[in-house]
Order: sequence, then C-alpha cells, then structure tokens
Amino acid sequence: MDLSVLLQILVWGLYAGCIYILLAIGLNLIFGVMKVVNFAHGELLMLGAYAAFWIYTLSGINPYLIIALAMILLGIIGVFIERLCFRPIMGTGKLNEIFLSLGLIYLFQNLAALLWTTGSRSIHSPYSDVSVSIGSIRLPLDYIIIIVFTILFLIAFQLFMKRTTLGRAMRATSQNREAAALMGIHVERMDMLSFALGSALAAAAGSLWLISGQIANPYMGSIPAIKAFAVIIIGGLGSIPGAIVAGLTLGIAENVLPLFIQSFVGLFGVSMSFTAWKDTIAFFILIIVLVIRPTGIFGEKGE
Amino acid sequence: MKLDRINIKTGIGIVSLILAFIVPVILGINQYLLTVLIITLVFIIYSSAWNLLALSGQASLGHAAFFGIGGYVSAIITNSLGLPPIVAIFVGGFFAAFIGILIGFTCIRMREWFLAMVTFGFAIIAHTITTELPWLTGGWDGIPAKRLISVTITNYIMYEYYIMLLIAVAVVVIIYQLTKSRMGLALEAIRENELEAKVMGINVTKYKLMAFAVSAFFTGIAGALEIHHFGYITPEVYGMDISFWPIIYSISGGLFTIGGPILGTIVITFIWEILRTFGLMYERFILIGVILILIVIFLPRGLVSIPEKIKRSHP
Repeated sequence: MDLSVLLQILVWGLYAGCIYILLAIGLNLIFGVMKVVNFAHGELLMLGAYAAFWIYTLSGINPYLIIALAMILLGIIGVFIERLCFRPIMGTGKLNEIFLSLGLIYLFQNLAALLWTTGSRSIHSPYSDVSVSIGSIRLPLDYIIIIVFTILFLIAFQLFMKRTTLGRAMRATSQNREAAALMGIHVERMDMLSFALGSALAAAAGSLWLISGQIANPYMGSIPAIKAFAVIIIGGLGSIPGAIVAGLTLGIAENVLPLFIQSFVGLFGVSMSFTAWKDTIAFFILIIVLVIRPTGIFGEKGE
Repeated sequence: MKLDRINIKTGIGIVSLILAFIVPVILGINQYLLTVLIITLVFIIYSSAWNLLALSGQASLGHAAFFGIGGYVSAIITNSLGLPPIVAIFVGGFFAAFIGILIGFTCIRMREWFLAMVTFGFAIIAHTITTELPWLTGGWDGIPAKRLISVTITNYIMYEYYIMLLIAVAVVVIIYQLTKSRMGLALEAIRENELEAKVMGINVTKYKLMAFAVSAFFTGIAGALEIHHFGYITPEVYGMDISFWPIIYSISGGLFTIGGPILGTIVITFIWEILRTFGLMYERFILIGVILILIVIFLPRGLVSIPEKIKRSHP
C-alpha cells in the first residue's frame, strides 16, 4: 500500500476520532455525575448540526463562529431533557433509562424530519478549497481546524473540571453523591449542569462534523453515537484519558483496517472492497474488548 | 380474593381468544383488516419473545438480528430446497436460536448498558453481512419468499390468519409455562440480583443462555412468518425500528408480564393504524416516542397495571 495514502487515511481517522471524543466526553460527564447513560446522545449531535446549519443559513457569518451559539442552544435543550425526562426516573433502574432514551430518539429524529424534511443539508466552509501540503500528503485545512478545536475544547474542559469551583463540585458529585450533598453541593444542579455541558459538547461535535463537509440529516446521529459508546466502553466509563485514547484508536482503526484486510485478501487473489464494513469493524472491536474485559479496558471494577 | 383475580384474568384471556377466532366471521374477509391483524399476531409473538429475555434483566436493542436471520434462513431454504414455509419457519427459528446462543455467550457477563449496545451492534453486523453477500441474500434488493398460503387459493388471507393465530397462541402458552417453571423463577431471581441468585445455587450462565436461545427461537419464527406473509425479504428487516417495536409494545403493555406484550401490541397497533388513516407519517413516530417517554415516567408497569392503580386509589 502507498505510504502517503496510508497517512492520508490516518489523518481522516484522527479527524473522525475527534468527533467521537467530543461525544464520548459529554456522555462520560453525564454518566459520571448522574450515573445515567443517555442513548439519545447522537440525536443531540444531530440537533447541534441543524442548529449550526440554520444559524449559518440565516446569518451567513463564518461557520466556525457559529459553534458557540449552537452549543449554548443545545445546552438549554439539554437542561430541559434532564429536568423533564431523566430526573423523574432517576434511581428507578437502568432499563428505564434505556427505554426512555429510545423514546427520545424517536421524538427527536422524527421531529427533525417533520420540521426540516429528511433531505441532506450541508454548509460550504470558507476554507473547503484550502489544503495544507506536508511532503506528499495534502490535508484539508478544515480537518486541521477541527483537530485543533477538539484539542482546545479538551483543554478548556479539563481546566474547567480541575480549576473552577463548579468543576470541582461536579467531580465531587460524581465521586460520591451523598457526601457531596452533605458538603453543601447542590447535586441536582450539578445533574443539570452536566447534562447541559454534555449536550453542548455533542453540539460542538455536530457542528464541526457539518462544517467539515459532512451532510446533516435527521438520522445522522445514530452511528456516531454508537461509536461514542464504543469509545467509552473501550476506554472505560468515566475515564477521560481512556476516552481520548480509545476515540483516536477507533477512528484510525475503522479507517485503516478495511484497507489492510483488502490488501491482505488481495494476496490470495481476491479483490473485494471492505469499506462497507467500516461500522461493523467498530463493533467487532467493541465486542472483542467486552468479551475479554466486561468492564472496558480502563474501566474500574463494578460501576 | 386472589382466586377472583385469577379468574378475571383467565376470563379476559378466554374472551379475547374467542374474539380473535370469530373476528373474520363477524367482519367478513376484509383484506386490509386481516393483514393488520396478521402483523399484530406476528408482533405479539415477537414482543413476547423479547419480553422473555428482558425477564432475565437483559434488554436487547438488537432483536431485529434474530427476526431477520429467521426470515432469511426460512426464505432461502424454501427457495432452494422447496420446503413448505410452515416447516421452514421452524428451521429459521432454530438457526436464530443457534445465533442467539452465540450472541448470548458474548453477552452474559455484561451489565445492562453494555449489553444494550452490543446487541444493537449485532443487528448492524447482521445487516452488513446480509448486504455484502448478494449471491445468497440478494444484497440490498432482497429475495422473494414463498407465501405461507398460496395466493391462488380463495380466502387465503383467512387461512393465513388462523395459522398465525394458532402459532401465536401456542407461543404465548409456551412462554407462559416457561415463566411459571423453574426457568422463569430463575430468570426473575437473576434480574433482581445476579449475585444472590448465584449464591442460591442458580446456574446463571445456563439460564441466561436458555433465555437467549428461546427468545431468539420465537423471534426467528416471528420473522419468518412475517416475510412469508409479505412474500419477500430485504435487509430492511434489520432496521432500528424493527428492533425497537417489541420494546415499545412490551413497555407500554407491561414489562415482565404475559399480558403486557399482547395488550401493548394491540393498543399501539390500533393507535398506529388510526393515525395512518389521517395520513400522518413523522407525527406517528413522534407520538410513539412521547407515549414511550410518558409511560416510562408515569406508568412504569405498563397498561396492565392500570386496574390495580385504580383499585388502589379507590379502595
């Protein structure tokens, strides 16, 4: 295989990995604080992408500036979801959370289809024709911006969690809810905040995905969300470094492995394309990891 | 008092069974109505099978994998070996059960969320494998499947309805017996507390795998019945909504009960068909989503718990 092709795919994987990481960090935060898994997280990504699309279409300003607005909007939606849906069922069992999320998936996907049709939407990024050449490979500028944005988000998130009072309070809540409440932390407010932040990160992922030239439609959220689940399962529930490592690994593996398999079976004279197996490969990785370690690679014992 | 309640329950069961048997007689051979009823019966089998697995605390989000596998196997062997569909559906069921045991092996150690994700993943894997093997499965276009009863026979739809009804009744009775047996009790114990169940000497692995196998078997049969009714099968049987329907039906009717999936399937299908007459499309799904959310929050034990709730508030 050509080395420059491989490098190109590596960058593509890195870029896909960034989207998974943003989603996974949000999920992890919500899980950490509330001990709730929101299976409808991908629909928040979808809403974020639509928010970015409409703000851009109506205002026409630089799409990268819109991300902040989309994040705020989704943060508000996140608060509503937490208050109206997840708070009433907290502590009633994990199956209920799964079922409630299914309801949210149906609700959001079809609401989007009803309001904005199922047609594909896209944004023309002002930098879509610009690319940076490093040696023999050419990288679209948008990919680099997205990778940089993700790094910035991660640093800001880490600083918020470690240095601010609110961040500390959230970490305290995720470590021990009762003790945190006894120390005077308003744990329910922390729930709300974690959901808002998680939704905002999903919106960031969605708008970055859209700006980088991907299309938005009401069903775009499910596959990235599943990958994000794979990422937090592989990386371990609640572990942020785990999510980063697993996100990048998954993004690269699912893009590089189909080519490896293709050239491998090519050795036996079989010519077959495996790009259609991309999503399947992500799941095989997930299943293999879970069979070996049911709590994930970096996961703590129990939950 | 307790005896009375059991009697009422059996009474409702018998009355609805008689109703189900005489519906074609009262309303005549109405093609549309009988088609809706046939699909309702298929989904009663499917939801009851899903509910049996849920009884062990394992909520699968990817049961469409078994539904589709049962359908494809049945369609392929009727086409290639010339077996009559009524035999082939059981082969499809057994094949689905076999796959179910394999999937079960990967799932038994997992907690709820992980299991949900992994089963969801298996449906996607099944979808990819099916579309990537066009010489066997017809790829994206699918393959034709023999009708359960040949369309050339007059009133074939009525015969089809009665066959479906018999199979559905048999499946529900078998599942009822299973839940009352050692296995059902073991599954409930595992759901409530897996560790305690293990300490009490219940073979957790064995019963979880059994639940997977039985659930996949009946789901495979339901899938095969559906495709032999429609006369074709495409990879759409692995769709997300096919996985989610039995969940919606079971929850709205009442999880972990026998009547729940049946009642839920009938009520939701009824609402669904009413909305169809208004020509609504996305609104229907939105409403289903909202119903699901409201039921999880306000009626977690489903429609079957309504009489009890009323009795408690008006003693």
